[in-house]
Amino acid sequence: MPPTTIYLAPPRRALEAPSAAVVTDLARLFGRSAALAGVTLAVEPGRCVALLGPNGAGKTTLLRVLATLLRPTYGTALVDGLDVSTHAGQVRERVAFLSHATGLYADLTARENLHFAASMLGLPREEARDRIPEVLDAVGLRSAADHRARTFSAGMRRRLALGRTIIGRPSLVLLDEPHAALDADGMSLVSRLLAGWKEVGVTTLVASHHLERLTDVADGTVTLTNGLVSAIDGAGVRGAIGLGTVPAEQPLAPPLHGAVAR
Amino acid sequence: MSRDLAVAIALARKDALAELRSRTAIGTTLFFGAIVLLLFGFALGPDARRLADAAPGLLWLAIIFAGLLAVGRLHEAETEDSALEQLSIYPVSRHALYAGKALAGFVAMLVLGAVLLPVVALLYRVDVLAAAPALLLTLLLGGAGFAAVATCYAALTVRMRSREVLLPLLVLPVVAPLLLASVKATTVALAGDPFGELGAWLALLVAFDVLMLAAGAATYRFALED
Repeated sequence: MPPTTIYLAPPRRALEAPSAAVVTDLARLFGRSAALAGVTLAVEPGRCVALLGPNGAGKTTLLRVLATLLRPTYGTALVDGLDVSTHAGQVRERVAFLSHATGLYADLTARENLHFAASMLGLPREEARDRIPEVLDAVGLRSAADHRARTFSAGMRRRLALGRTIIGRPSLVLLDEPHAALDADGMSLVSRLLAGWKEVGVTTLVASHHLERLTDVADGTVTLTNGLVSAIDGAGVRGAIGLGTVPAEQPLAPPLHGAVAR
Repeated sequence: MSRDLAVAIALARKDALAELRSRTAIGTTLFFGAIVLLLFGFALGPDARRLADAAPGLLWLAIIFAGLLAVGRLHEAETEDSALEQLSIYPVSRHALYAGKALAGFVAMLVLGAVLLPVVALLYRVDVLAAAPALLLTLLLGGAGFAAVATCYAALTVRMRSREVLLPLLVLPVVAPLLLASVKATTVALAGDPFGELGAWLALLVAFDVLMLAAGAATYRFALED
């Protein structure tokens, strides 16, 4: 397997804000149930941060808000200084998201799925033609490139979905349980991708139950419990524990600092 | 080529390719449309005049009923493995996504029309070849208007459990003017347009299409939101 830097491109847009992702007092309600109850966090650009916590802690909801799939009920979420509610289109240019589901088209081949993703991401045809074989190599699906996704195992589908996240040039990659359904080689692939993204300055936020798979690459960890931050460790991420405020000696990015200082 | 146009074509091409491979919608909708025409034919009896008089209305009812299945299926395919979610977070305008889905729906309507017209000619004994240009124009305009409306409602209902019931309930009242104009245009086209009415009915279809395409483009983003 070649080094990851061969096939991971740097972000198309250089990060302008001091934090890649900033959420302030973020709450998301589903009916009367709060998936997020007031989360305040800031992730530095180019860092890999692991999101930990039990099922139902709010990890997936936080990632979906940052991916523009859910609107915050209260509070704000910024990606590269852009509000996900009011600048969703610009945020989508910067974000790649891998959810629990792979989002693939079962009747298209692996190559066609990547080709469609490249079209949606606006890659020029020549660039896509060069990039797709590289991506297929990177995720170990070169020999199955012209097989329909319907014939793939769950692990192969996961690999292909990972390939879709690297075909563009995002500045923030959000991965929700990326190790799910993967064998040892696949898990190793995720580790290499995370290391590669860090090398080229891409920020990654990874929700996972496999902390042991992230210890080598994650700069910091955030633990969520019942929709609130219960612990923050390591570097690259700052925030408030529970419903508390951020310590004055650890100011967050200007938009967030302004919001919590009131 | 503008980015929106490229996205719309890529999306429609993807839908067409997936459908050609799976053949889940094409086979069932064409068969459904043909069986509707056959059953209406049985219900009307063997009177050739009666069959010919009813042909335009029954043709468009069959196209619209089968079209509901086809356009609904185009959106249902996006819910498999949450592809719609992935589609929603690509950095593309909602207008382009609407245009792509409406284009795929329009192509499906043209295929339906191309197959069901000969079926009508055969079962109802009407001469469609003599009026082919006018019928083709009516099919183009009627198909575009139907795809414009059904695409929007299909996106709105695709995540609902009762989508199969809701989609016709929402679409059919809105497309009533289109059905009226299409049936009238088909009737006068088959009769050789003796009173020069065809232009007026086609103009009504053009106005309907423009209005519904604008409304669909403006509202599609709300249908995509969770």
